[in-house]
Amino acid sequence: MREGRSRSFYVLAALFAAYVAFLYGPMIAIFVLSFQGPDGGLTFPMNGVSLYWFERLFSGGNGIIDIGAAFVRSAKLGLMVAVLTVAISVAAGMAFRKKFVGQAVIFYVAIASLIVPSIITSLGIALEFRLIDDGFKTFIDENFSTSMGLLTSGLAAHLTWTLPFGLLIMFAIFNRFDPRYEEAARDLGATPWQTFRHVVLPMILPSVVGIGLFGFTLSWDEIARSSQAIGPVNTLPLDLQGLTTTVTNPDIYALGTATTGVSFLAIGLALFVIGFLQRRQSRHGSDAGSGML
Amino acid sequence: MSKPSDNKPSDSKRSGKTSGISRRTMLKGAAGFTGLATGSGAITGFPYVMSAEPKVLRYLGTGVNEGDLIGTQCLKDTGIKLEYITATTDDVTKRVITQPNSFDVLDTEYFSLKKLVPSGNILALDAKKIKEFDNITPVFTKGHLPNGKKIGDQGTAPWKVLYLEGKNSKVFSKTPTEFVTLIPTVYNADTLGIRPDLIKRPISSWAELLNPEFKGKASILNIPSIGIMDAAMVVEATGQYKYADKGNMTKAEIDLTMKLLTEAKKAGQFRAFWSDFNQSVNLMASGETVIQSMWSPAVTAVRKKGIPCVFQPLKEGYRSWATGFCVSKGVSGAKLDLAYEFVNWFLSGWAGAYLNRQGYYSAVLSTAQKSMEPYEWAYWMEGKPAEKDIKGPDGSLLEKAGTVRDGGSYDDRMGSVACWNAVMDENDYMVRKWNEFIAA
Amino acid sequence: MHQSSVRRNVVAWLQAGPMALVFLAFFLIPLLFVVIVSFWDYNDYEMLPIFSGRGYTDTFEGCLQQLPEFCTILRTYGSTLKFCFLVWSITLVIGFTVAYFLAFHVRSKSWQIGLSLLCTIPFWTSNVIRMIAWIPLLGRNGLVNKALVEAKIVNQPLEWLLFSEFSVVLAFVHLFTFFMVVPIFNSMIRIDKSLIEAAYDAGATGFQTLVNVIIPLSKPGIVIGSIFVITIVMGDFITIGVMGGQQIASAGKIIQTRLDAIQFPAAAANAVILLAATMMIIFSMTRLVDIRREL
Repeated sequence: MREGRSRSFYVLAALFAAYVAFLYGPMIAIFVLSFQGPDGGLTFPMNGVSLYWFERLFSGGNGIIDIGAAFVRSAKLGLMVAVLTVAISVAAGMAFRKKFVGQAVIFYVAIASLIVPSIITSLGIALEFRLIDDGFKTFIDENFSTSMGLLTSGLAAHLTWTLPFGLLIMFAIFNRFDPRYEEAARDLGATPWQTFRHVVLPMILPSVVGIGLFGFTLSWDEIARSSQAIGPVNTLPLDLQGLTTTVTNPDIYALGTATTGVSFLAIGLALFVIGFLQRRQSRHGSDAGSGML
Repeated sequence: MSKPSDNKPSDSKRSGKTSGISRRTMLKGAAGFTGLATGSGAITGFPYVMSAEPKVLRYLGTGVNEGDLIGTQCLKDTGIKLEYITATTDDVTKRVITQPNSFDVLDTEYFSLKKLVPSGNILALDAKKIKEFDNITPVFTKGHLPNGKKIGDQGTAPWKVLYLEGKNSKVFSKTPTEFVTLIPTVYNADTLGIRPDLIKRPISSWAELLNPEFKGKASILNIPSIGIMDAAMVVEATGQYKYADKGNMTKAEIDLTMKLLTEAKKAGQFRAFWSDFNQSVNLMASGETVIQSMWSPAVTAVRKKGIPCVFQPLKEGYRSWATGFCVSKGVSGAKLDLAYEFVNWFLSGWAGAYLNRQGYYSAVLSTAQKSMEPYEWAYWMEGKPAEKDIKGPDGSLLEKAGTVRDGGSYDDRMGSVACWNAVMDENDYMVRKWNEFIAA
Repeated sequence: MHQSSVRRNVVAWLQAGPMALVFLAFFLIPLLFVVIVSFWDYNDYEMLPIFSGRGYTDTFEGCLQQLPEFCTILRTYGSTLKFCFLVWSITLVIGFTVAYFLAFHVRSKSWQIGLSLLCTIPFWTSNVIRMIAWIPLLGRNGLVNKALVEAKIVNQPLEWLLFSEFSVVLAFVHLFTFFMVVPIFNSMIRIDKSLIEAAYDAGATGFQTLVNVIIPLSKPGIVIGSIFVITIVMGDFITIGVMGGQQIASAGKIIQTRLDAIQFPAAAANAVILLAATMMIIFSMTRLVDIRREL
């Protein structure tokens, strides 16, 4: 199985490492500065060394905003966005493999949704929900407050952002996807759903998981689109941005360090489990896939 | 509903009018008692405490007044839980217009009122329901210091936009009425912050902001209407022009001021424009800038990190601003009573002292004084050397004993206010010119 | 025949329906509001529902009179397009290289996943926090300058590392290269490995294989990634604002300044102009490579 590595492998591996280093570069300042003493600020020079800011982060009640609660809210929204983005994009991706009336319209609308500045889309959604609110107030309940919120207008705003990405990545995934697999399945009497479930999905699954991750990440970091459409409760990035209007403490650095640390742990663990399962599978089943690493 | 709690303070209000001395002594007793009464009120239970609905106020603001400690104390004293919605200054204004239903109480600046009130999203408050209304510093209501000294009225000075002509009016009244737009809570006089260790010479004029000596090391605020006023201070300081009202320029005056700014930008005078507290602190603390327009607590934040920074009084005076509470038009009934209860609590002393200790000023001086130690009051408000170490609201050390506050006493600082943050009549033109300036 | 085409259309619409609905409800209707509002008049505090082209005419103010000098809007778009081009070309080269490495040199699925995740993790630390961190890194007294001065590479700290066009491009590349990697990678893993072997067998060099086989076959991915990067950079104001010290013009920043002044119609008009300009770029790109044809 294993061939010798070519020279280009090492060159590219070095380039890749450089790219990763570049990605993590700004994080280094965050990591270092998060370990400052209680008088620390957001810039060098360091003011002492301690775990003070981590203690504050985990004890909650650090300053104005309950970062823990915002974290949970954003995670909830992010997961919701990820799941919906995957489901809706995969379905639409399947549709785009056939020719259908209105295909170009949906395509260019998706592109337009990427282009229109987030803040404008956000305002438009806010306006729309305000009309809905007024409708509620007039016709149903005078004391109705607002229909805007994390999982209504907030979710909607995020989807207008993640769906174009989801759809376009589906294009890349289905690019030259061989239809003969599906024809074969059909010939063997599979229903369209069975064909999708047992033939198409397994082939595209890793990429689909990728779309989910992408959707989550986009939602997790989103500010402009949420700013006017999120309703009374902020997401984490909005809270952090609000926080920067008064606070100059390194606890937000501690948050960054903690997030990265936890992500590494989770992913390390996941890879370990996958590796373990693969090894078990190869021991118990065929030896296909052995020596892949 | 809120009647019973309103009775006592209106007593103290009436007595407050009689004379300065008796007001203070009366207030010491009466307001302390009021605090106790409202505090225990939460425990014994007013009708709405008993009701199933929790006492919650959605509080939209920039975070200047939003403090965890304020929230905790408010809950303790009144049983009201504040749900903070924190956003940047510009976003707050936008949210009021786009999502007026998403908040109950709004914490905003007076200059925004010129936009917010005509938009019809703000509820006129009843001055009679604000216990301490008559004790609010005359800086806001009449435009002079408690000692009678007149202060600058250029720009959107609070007393110009404090009153409405009627309950549902969108027109500001020139004379006091009982319909109030915004109850002031916190304010300050801004000037240039400098790094004395890097500048190494005295600074005494706004002109220094655009002095080529500080090329690449200066900064102004990224809010166009405020940035242009800083530039106007420079124009006047260098004697190039004298404005009738820096906060309300004519088109020609805007052109003149923007030309100066554009030249400075092209020459590389500015390192960056700052748009929030944190940026202004970071720029200064990291030495990216050595001179920039700044807020007093931001200077304190830099100094807290052991970095020398001075909130430099200048001979041309300060550019002042003030924030306070508005209530959303959508609020009514029990919720509105709650909003009044909260505003009354905010003015009752504890919060005022909290803000004073950060280097801001509180709207009702008498109640704040009562909640501060005499040595603290002497340092922050009277401009005297600190008798003991000065601590921040969170208990951290701000200044060592013996230091004197930059700019001196309240009277010295607020008495030297030259203009107020503003929205101009020619705002549209100014914004277009600002975009041109950025593209230059 | 006809019936099957109807059936195909029905199935396709059922599949694409949810996406179409989301866009209709939360993008097209709001966009319609925006377009309508862009033709309204306004004063200091509110929109006036009276037809007015002011939002547009104000934007192009002085564009004819000032010729041959550029007016504000043209200069602004010039600056935005310059950033677009720079960021696009850099992210394309880096993104392609990274995707190539992941697709062709990393052989196992779990390593591919692991390395992709490694590239994703930094994005889970909020943008707000990462932006702030550039000052201690690139600032006058930042880590990079300290290292350069100590290593005696420069005599005094470099000023252009931060709040400059350089730092804006750097931050863009940092943020958006991954948007290039994902679609290109997905395109590449669909390339039949036997095609590449066939090319080698026919005597093609590595470079020839790259140019004649791999690049043409990953074109859809390249175009999709380009759409991501170009659309985001065209509309950006946060990154340009923070990294450019709020002193660099961009199409997005004009909109932001207008919004902050509550001049919604003017902001809406600028958004419509931006949409039209960017749509033209994307349209011509998809003319060159039809990413929907090879699905």
